[in-house]
Amino acid sequence: MSKEQAYYVPDGTYWPIIGSIGVATLFVGFANQMHGVEWGGSVMALGFAITVFMMFGWFGQVVNESTSGIYNSQVDLSFRWGMSWFIFSEVMFFAAFFGALFYARQLSVPWLGGADNNLYTPELWNGFSATWQQVAFSTPGTTLQSGVAISVPTQLVDTWGLPALNTLLLLLSGVTLTFAHHALRAGHRNQIVGWLVATIALGSAFLGFQVMEYGHAYADGLKMTSGIYGSTFYMLTGFHGFHVTVGVIMLTVILYRVQKGHFTADNHFGFEGVAWYWHFVDVVWLGLFIFVYWL
Amino acid sequence: MTEALIVIVIIAILTALGFGLIGLVKGGKVGSDRMFKSLATRVSLSVILFLFVMFAGYMGWIEPNNVMMDASVVQK
Repeated sequence: MSKEQAYYVPDGTYWPIIGSIGVATLFVGFANQMHGVEWGGSVMALGFAITVFMMFGWFGQVVNESTSGIYNSQVDLSFRWGMSWFIFSEVMFFAAFFGALFYARQLSVPWLGGADNNLYTPELWNGFSATWQQVAFSTPGTTLQSGVAISVPTQLVDTWGLPALNTLLLLLSGVTLTFAHHALRAGHRNQIVGWLVATIALGSAFLGFQVMEYGHAYADGLKMTSGIYGSTFYMLTGFHGFHVTVGVIMLTVILYRVQKGHFTADNHFGFEGVAWYWHFVDVVWLGLFIFVYWL
Repeated sequence: MTEALIVIVIIAILTALGFGLIGLVKGGKVGSDRMFKSLATRVSLSVILFLFVMFAGYMGWIEPNNVMMDASVVQK
């Protein structure tokens, strides 16, 4: 790290404008895809490719600047603050979705069943039962006024099966990551690589089983159209799965950087940022497992 | 009672994660130490909580949310 006290100001760069073009192309493609426009999908793919290209280029430039030793402690602190704001947005993101789960479960569904407001609403829906476990159900073959057919689950989901196994896998990945973190602080590079590979493998196994779990749930009729339960279930677990995917990609980059010798025992912010993110994703899953499947 | 205990441990895990974040933002030797200790605490608490939830479920202290019940059961 540079001992220079003056704040490091980078040269002008073209990456932000490339990023803007990439993201704009992605969303124009996405919006048109949603409207069934023929070229929507390909424009979306192009936008995604430009965005990935920008991330490789921009992050690579930052890594090169960092390893060349031109960053000082002020730059280090600005990275740390940047990470903390990113984390704040992530916490609010998941807080909103957990909030939706609690609101539906504890307030809006009981209200529909007549709780608190003394309004008896058995005729609201044929066969409607205002208990959280059963809100995914309606009379088979029911169609909403909007014309959307309601999907009715037919099988029990086994809490002891895949969900428990996945929780175990993700918690173990937190343990292996902690060992990698310890090895990094102690300066044992071979051990870091081993524990990081284990963490990535466990994270990938989680994703594989999650795909299987979705396959089972979907085949048994639990879909996005299965009422408030179906939509909150897929929203929470889907976004969590997306975060695990991003985490696995980030850990892979960190593994590559460890092998390149980018980190030292007392200067490894890149590792710390990704480690905290992984712990966060781990805790979100533990919360999901307990609140969705148990409490 | 069991449920309250589970929620208390979850709050403890979130607190440990929060202290880890403070260490991450602080940086340097002190921050790095605090971050590592907090995250190690959060991992240990999480593993203990998972084992406890599984045990409590096995003992019947808490019941799983069997959300995908047979549709015919619901209609009765």
